[in-house]
Order: sequence, then structure tokens, then C-alpha cells
Amino acid sequence: MTDYNLIAKAAGTEPKNAMLAAVKKLWPLMRDEKKILIIAFIAIIVNSLLTLFAPLLMAHVINTYFINKDFHGVLVYSGILLGMYLLALGASYAQTRLMGGIGQRVLFNLRNAVFNKLQELPVAFFNQNKAGDLISRINNDTDKLNQFFSQSLMQFIGSIFIMIGAGIFLLVLNIRLGGAALIPAALIIIITIATAAWVKRKNALSMRALGGLSAEIQESLMNFKVVVAFNRRDYFREHFEEANQKNYETSIGAGIANNTLTPFYGWGGNLGQLVVIAYGLFLILQGQFTLGLLVGFLIYVNNFYNPLRQLASLWANFQTALAGWDRISDILSLKTDLVVIDSVKDAEGAVKKIVSKEIADSILAFDHVFFRYAAGKDVLHDISFSLEKGKTYALVGPTGGGKTTTASLMARLYDATEGTVYLDGKDIRTYDAAARTKKIGFILQDPFLFTGTVRDNIIYSNEQYKDHSNDQLEAVIKKEGLEKLLARFDKGLDTPVLSSGDAISLGQKQLIVFIRAVLRNPALLILDEATANIDTVTEGLLEEILKQLPKETTRVIIAHRLNTIENADVIFFVNSGTITRAGSMQQAVDMLLHGKRQS
Amino acid sequence: MEPQNKPSLTSLLRPYLGILTWLILFTLASNALNLLLPKIIASAIDAYTGNHLVLTTVIVEFFSASFFIFVFVYLQSIVQVYASERVARDLRKDVSAKISRQSYAYVQTTNPAKLLTNLTSDIDNIKSFVAQAIVSIVSSVFIIIGASILLLMIDWRLALAVLAIIPILGGTFFFVLSKVRKLFIKSREVIDWLNKVINESILGSALIRVLNSQQPEYEKFLGANNRAKDLGMQILIIFATMIPIISFVANLATVVILTLGGHFVIAGSMTLGNFTAFNSYLALLIFPILVIGFMSNVIAQAQASYGRVQEVLDTPEPKPDGVLKEKLRGDITVKGVTVMYGERPALKDVSLTVKAGTRTAIVGPTAAGKTQLLYVLTGLVQQNAGTVAYDGRDINEYDPESLHNQIGLVFQDSIMFNLSVRENIAFNTLVIDEALNKAIATAELKDFIDGLPEGLNTIVSERGGSLSGGQKQRIMLARALALNPRILLLDEFTARVDANTEQKTLRNIKENYPDITLVSVTQKIAAVEHYDQIIVIMEGEVLASGTHAELLKTSPEYVQIVDSQRSTNTYEEQSND
Repeated sequence: MTDYNLIAKAAGTEPKNAMLAAVKKLWPLMRDEKKILIIAFIAIIVNSLLTLFAPLLMAHVINTYFINKDFHGVLVYSGILLGMYLLALGASYAQTRLMGGIGQRVLFNLRNAVFNKLQELPVAFFNQNKAGDLISRINNDTDKLNQFFSQSLMQFIGSIFIMIGAGIFLLVLNIRLGGAALIPAALIIIITIATAAWVKRKNALSMRALGGLSAEIQESLMNFKVVVAFNRRDYFREHFEEANQKNYETSIGAGIANNTLTPFYGWGGNLGQLVVIAYGLFLILQGQFTLGLLVGFLIYVNNFYNPLRQLASLWANFQTALAGWDRISDILSLKTDLVVIDSVKDAEGAVKKIVSKEIADSILAFDHVFFRYAAGKDVLHDISFSLEKGKTYALVGPTGGGKTTTASLMARLYDATEGTVYLDGKDIRTYDAAARTKKIGFILQDPFLFTGTVRDNIIYSNEQYKDHSNDQLEAVIKKEGLEKLLARFDKGLDTPVLSSGDAISLGQKQLIVFIRAVLRNPALLILDEATANIDTVTEGLLEEILKQLPKETTRVIIAHRLNTIENADVIFFVNSGTITRAGSMQQAVDMLLHGKRQS
Repeated sequence: MEPQNKPSLTSLLRPYLGILTWLILFTLASNALNLLLPKIIASAIDAYTGNHLVLTTVIVEFFSASFFIFVFVYLQSIVQVYASERVARDLRKDVSAKISRQSYAYVQTTNPAKLLTNLTSDIDNIKSFVAQAIVSIVSSVFIIIGASILLLMIDWRLALAVLAIIPILGGTFFFVLSKVRKLFIKSREVIDWLNKVINESILGSALIRVLNSQQPEYEKFLGANNRAKDLGMQILIIFATMIPIISFVANLATVVILTLGGHFVIAGSMTLGNFTAFNSYLALLIFPILVIGFMSNVIAQAQASYGRVQEVLDTPEPKPDGVLKEKLRGDITVKGVTVMYGERPALKDVSLTVKAGTRTAIVGPTAAGKTQLLYVLTGLVQQNAGTVAYDGRDINEYDPESLHNQIGLVFQDSIMFNLSVRENIAFNTLVIDEALNKAIATAELKDFIDGLPEGLNTIVSERGGSLSGGQKQRIMLARALALNPRILLLDEFTARVDANTEQKTLRNIKENYPDITLVSVTQKIAAVEHYDQIIVIMEGEVLASGTHAELLKTSPEYVQIVDSQRSTNTYEEQSND
């Protein structure tokens, strides 16, 4: 079985931090936005140009019309300036709106992609990862990318644009002085590149800690009744405290890493000014430069370093976004190990052997099946059996003997480590999910309901009855003989149901999932302790319903209560990973009572 | 900003006055020094024109000023990180402590998904406020006030014309923030919704795969995600409109100055030098106004989030606890207890007594209220009417900790923590090794634990994915027994355990915990026939109680249950041997 543990995986690999590679990684998210990006980019350029040119225009007005005392000219240029600012108004609206829109869509697509990926992955993935951490990845980490796209990216581009413009101005005005003025910037860039990996790592640690915090909260809140009943309110506090402290420490690490560059960038700007003054004055003293030029030069140095200062915090946002993207990619790069294989060849590409008649006629068969969970010992050991159509089978045996695992393999929640499971005479792996799940109804040991109503839950994922009105649905339920079960709910189909909580009893939950499974009318119905918490009188009803199922329906019942299984045609005794066929009910009971348990 | 909402966020910050004072001091220091730099340059140029320029002095002055700016900015950023993280950590601690003191019902009704958002991203929003907004606003206000004074000193007429934009901008902020706050609150609620969908899709992952219902799940998610996007867009449009308008209004001031100032200069009522100075200070004024515009976003989010967090903090806690810590004998008296779920009673006027040291079984159909009764007995659910008493004293008179240490409840749904097996069993910290070992032996877990790769220290995965139903159930039993309880409440313990193990464990309990008072909710009559008392519950009401023999004579409902199990009784009896 594949190892799906995200935390362990992330700890093993230390990603390289190459700027270009990083940009490449983010590019696919924006690919569809090319046209909008170009328009936004134009808006950014227009806005930046206006920002650069407005002061020049002002200077022109002062130098020409103020000196010449031409108020008309002043008015004309005020009008032009007003026009420019109106244009800037439009451009900056367009820029914010378009880039923000890109951010929102990237966020939307990313969340969808991650959620979709979660739906693709097998059950094993969920057994190996924590719900809280996954939620944190889908919500918090994707939001880091949104913040970068909607807030930082446009400033990033705008700043770089203004900076480059001002830099070129500096070099053109005086190459030596300009070059000297840019030396601090070069140092800053070296520091920035040198620290990039560190900044990203610190942010990754902080996000992981937040994921851990989220997992802790999730677990404690889900299990709150045990926390209360066992006097462990302190458990929640302490465990939370620990995760909170860890999050605090890593966040401080990330915060310091994100803020380290800011003072350097500021200082760099000031040093740039200092270099210009010192070197400029030196040049003036030597007679190679004029005072007027120096004053102008200082303004451009500021024009260059001010956007650079902004870049400091934007850069940190960029690194945070990259770290978030890594955590999301960890999920997106996972692949399900339950692929659908070619019907003629097996997974290794070899042409498959012809199955025996027994297997070909059966609804479901195990052929020398072995199974173990990731890095564990064998849970099932060389199991072979076949289930005939229309019969009722019972799986009995001590807890931990492998009954649920056997049932899970029947429904292909996992694949056999070795050997083959056959569904209706064909390798179960050759069916796509829709075809497979149509044939198999599996009532899981822990009944799960979605928040909604009884109706929502019994027609959940049922195409056939999806659009039935309540009356029509009740008619169907009556036809299937399920109406007495529905009568157990005080508001019938409209009884509200909560996914968590005790407003509805475990037995009632089992009734709902039972109705849900029967309405799907599967060829093979597996009940994994599906009636364990239902009273024996109601259980009698369920047995009647099971008996009335179409005669070709095969039933597999896992149960501890002997009366549940007494009507089975065949009883299998499952213990320590092996399956034995019991000759009779009495023999099964003997095995249960005297068989050596090994769990 | 918004005067009416400021107090809530400022009250949050009050305990951090010390560190925030440092933060503001460093911010002001670096800003003030920044204003000094142009002075140094100006005096250097003046010195040059006056021909007494000493280059090294200028360099030393400028370098030291910029160095101190560097130091102050650095200190400011570190203090800012510590301050914001401390605010977040302490707030998380307060909220979690608050939740931990709440009742089980509170957590159920508030919705765990919302509490998760409160504790994670809501508090992160407040953190961003402390980290970004405080410093930005302090330095912006400092510069705005400073620049305004300088403007007024140069030319009060022109200054007033320029400063007229400030109330306009203030009004815009006020309007936009009040509008956008509602959207932010809504968008937080959508995040709760997203959390819930993700959560259910994870907890129900096996079912979704069995039913191949990935597509409907995705559609559910898409609904929530679409709503999140729509709200995000609405908020975006507001800010995309507001921020350019603010910069436009600020730029408008430049135009006003050019026109009006031009008029003054041409008319000779203002010198050109003063105009130039005026202009450069105006440039200084505009940037902080824009910063406040950007920060309004952060502030609005933080306010929305703080409102939600405050709601959790303001929820009243359950009424004060009792103080009795007496050791229980084990007598239980329930009188007229009614529990309502909405309009539907889960328990109706239930009365029963259990004598210390006896064994009582509770039987009845699905949804009869059996589990609810156990929850009332442990105080997990508060009854709407009636009383529960232990040894003749009301349950509320007891210190709940002391009570919970003496009553072991085995839940019917398996609840596992992502901890070691040892910690899962000795979940209550008072459990000593001796009690732990006795509990393990009683629950027939010894072989199972010995077979684990790391024995008791093996970590159980979240939701116990690696364990079978029966193993989880027995760990739950051991968890309750490890308390060495006076009273043991079993909720369908037998449902997921095979008959053999069931008989052994029940026998072990009898042997190892001889004085224990046992109340067992069960479906299997055969296992409890010989109990001192059997209580039949149906639809929330007690129908009958008595011994097996008595009930067979008096209660038709009981007879019906017994009959439904008769056919297999021969087998069950074998396992009673």
C-alpha cells in the first residue's frame, strides 16, 4: 500500500529555491489569465508612467509659467494634470480590479483542485493524514497564494517597473555616479537571494505548525465528549497549548525572516543617497559635476530606492506564497494507487490467465489474496473463496481477525497486496469506479451521515431517485418494504440530521445507511456490523427486508450477534488473516468459542 | 478610522501597552530620523555654497543617522513580530481555555468547524492587524500631522485648501469600512461552511468511495467555494474603487495647489521658494494617506474576525460547579427526568433507582433514549426537568471532576485520540500503572497490546483507522476501567465485540471490580438475564423494570424483545458457560 503521509514526506525533502523555478511553478496557475494579465500589465505601466511624469510636469509649470507669471498656462497645465490623474484613477482601478480578480480565481481554482484531488485519493490517504492539517492546507495555505496574487503581484510589477526606469535614468545622467548609487542595491539583491531559501523555509515551518494546530483543535473538538467525561478539559488546553506555543515560535521565526530584509532595504536606500552625496560632492569639488545636477540626481536615487523598499515586504509575501504552494503541491502531486487496469492485461502488463469456472460464475471471488497495510504485517494471508449469486454469507470471528479488511477489499477500498479479487468474473481492478460501486453496496461499520435531512442522506449519490418528490420517494420506500424503518423518524424524510452530535442515535444512523444501501439495489450487499446498535426487534425487520431483496442479490453479513447470521447459507470463520468455511452454524459457534484468538 | 469600533480592538491591545509603547517609540524614532536626513543634505549643500564644506563630517553625520534608522527599523520589526505573535498566542489560549470550560452541548451547537476558523484564520487576521496596521497607522498619522503643521506654517490659506481633503477621505473610509465589514463577516461564515464540507468529506471518505459520490461532494464544495469567490469579488470591487479614489482625491490636492499656489505666486503673495517647499511637504502627505487606505482592508478584516472571536469569549459558561468530593457508594436515583431535543423529547419523565453494587441493564429499541440517559447520568447533557442524584445528593452538588473520576462511561461510538495506546487508555492523568494494567487485563487487551510493534507505546492513528471496531471498543472499556470507577456505564459495549470476548470481559469486570455499580445498555438479553434489575425503555419512557423473571410476567414489550432473540439463545447460552 502506498505511503500517503504528507508530514513525513515533507520532512524528508528539502526543496531547492531557485527564483526561476519558483516562478515556473506558479505560472500554471495563471496560464488561463494571460489576456487579463496583459491588460493589467498595461494598466500598471500607465499608472507607473503617470507617477513618474507628474512631478516632471509640475517642475515644467513652475519653471515656465510661474516665472513668466502666465496664469493661463498654469490653468491649462492644471487641466492636463487633472486629466492625467483621472487617467491614473482609471488605470489604478483597472489594475487593482484585474489583479484582484486573478487572485480570487487562482484561489478558487486552487481550492477546487485540492478538493478534487482529495476526492481522487483512496481511503488510505485519509487514514494517514489528519483532517485538521488538510483543512488548513485547503483554506489557509491557498489564501497565502491569493494574498500574493491579489495584493503583492501588482505592486511587485509596478515597483520593479518604476525601479528599472529610475535606474536607467541614473545611469544615463551620469554613468559613474549612477553606477556608484546602485552599488548598495546590488548588495541588497545579493543578500535577498542568499536569504531566500531561509525565508521560505521559516514560512514553511510556520505553516506546518499552523496545520498541526488545526489538527489538534479538530481532534479535540470532535472528541469533546470524552474530554468532558474523562475530566480532561486540561487535555484540550494542554495539547492546544503545546501546538499553540509551537505555532508561536515558528511564526516568530517566519516573522523575523520576513522582516529582516526591510531594514536592510531602507538602509540600502540611505546608503545610496550617501554615496551620491559623498561621491557627487567629491566630483563637484573636482569640477566634474554641478550642484544643480546633484539635487536632481538625489531625487532619482529616491525614485529608485523607494520602490525597492516596498519590494522588501513583497518579497517576503512571495516566499510565503511559494511555501504555501509547496504544501499544496504535496497533495496535488499524490496519485491514487487504485488505478483502473486494462481488462485483458494485468497491472504488470502480462496477459491474464483464464479464470476458473467457479470464479467466472461467482459474483465475487478472492484468489490467493494477501494484504498488508503500509509497512505492517500480513492482515490477510492467502485467502481464496468465491461467493455465489443470490446467496447469503456471514463472516464471523474475533475482533481484529480481518473481517472488515476482507470487506474493504471486496469494495476495493484497498487493493490486494498479492493475488486478485474478482467481481462478476472479472478482475475488480478493471471496473471503473462508477461501474464497480453500482454493483456493490457496502454498509460501513461506522455509519456516516451528512448534515441535512433523512431524505438527503438516503438518496445521497442515488441518480435514480434524486429528483423524486417526497411522496414518490415514500412510495418507493414502501415498495421496498422500508416504510417501517422510516417511521422511526418523527418527521419522516424531513427529519433533520447532523453529521456530528448525538441528536440522532447510533441505531437510527444505522437505519438511515441501511435504507440508503438498499435503495441503491446493488448486486452484492455487504453489511459490516451494520446493525450492531439496532435493537433485536427492529433487526428482525431488517432481516425480513434483506430476505425480500431480489433473489440474485448476494449478501455478505459481518456480525457478532448470532441471530443476525443464523439465516446465512454459508458461514466463514475469519481469524488471524485466514478464512475457514464452517460446515454449520454449530460448527461456527464452536470455532468462535474455542478457536484461539490472535488479534 | 472608525471611532465606534476602535474600542473593541483597542481593549484587546490594552495588556500589551508596554511592548506596544516600545513599538511606537521605535517607529517614531526611525520616522523622526528619516526627516533629519534631508536636513543633513540641505546643510551640506549650503555648506558647499558657503565654501566651508567638510566632506567627512557630512559622511559621518549621514552615515550615523542612517545607521540609527537601520537599528530602529530593525528593533521595530522585531518588536512588531513579537507583539503580534504574542497577541495571537494569548488570544488563542484564551479562546481555547474558554471552549475547554464549556459544556459538550455548546461545542455541538456552535459547530466545531466554526470554532476551528475562530482559532486559526480569525486570529490570524487580528495578528495581521497588530503586525501591519499599528505601525503603519502610527507613522502615517505622525507624518500627516507633522506635514500638516509645516504646511500651515508656510501658508495657512493654501494649507486649509489642502487639508480640506482629510475630512473627505475620513468620510470615505468610514462609509466603505462600515459597508465592507458586513461582507467580511459573511466571508468568514463562508469559510466555516467550506471547513464543514471539507471536514465531512474527510470523515466520510470511505463512504464517498463506496458510493462513488466524489462528484456530488465536489459540487457541494464548488457551491461553497463559488460563494467565497463571489464575496471575495464584492470586497475586491469595493477596495478597487476606494483606493484609486483616495489617491485621486490626494492628487487633486496637488492640482489645487498648482492652481491656487500659482495664483498666489503670480499675484506675489507667496514666494516661489515657499511654494516649492509647500509642494514637497504635500508629496510627503500623500503617501501616508494611501497607506491608511490599504490598511483599512486589514482593519476591516480584523474587526470582523475579532467580533467573531469576541462572541466565543462572551458566551456564558455553565453554572458554577458543585463542591462535594465524597467517595461515591453508587446509589443512583433518577426522578422525573425530561430531555428535549428541539421540540422532540428524547427522555420523558424518566424515574429509576439503582442500588450501590448492583447490576442493572437497560434495554429498548433504537432511539429509545438509552444513550441520552447515560449522558444525563454523567452530566454531558443537562436535563430540562427532573433530578439526578448520587447517594441521595443532587448531581449538581458534586464537584464534576470528582464525579467524572468515579463514573466510567464507555461510549458506543469509538473515540480514539492520535496518541499512544497507553495515553488512550490512561486518558485521565490520575491513572496509575497498577490501575492501567488491571484495566488492560480486564478488557482482554493484553494479547493485542503485546502483539503491537511497540506495545503500549504504539501510536493510534487519528480516528483509530488502524484498529478494528472491537479493539477500539475494548480500549474504550479499558479507558473507563482505568479510572477505577465506582460506577461503570456501558453503552452497547457488546455490539462490536465477539461473544467469546464479551463473556470474558464481563466476567473479568465482576471478578476484578467486585463492588462496582454497573449500568449496561444492551441489546442482548441473554447476557443480562441474571442482573439485579432490567429496565425497559421505549420512546423516551420507562415502561417496566424488574428482574428477568418479573419482566417476563409483567412486560409484553420485554417478552417481545426476548422472543426476537429466542432462536439463537441456545448458542448464546453456550457462551455463558
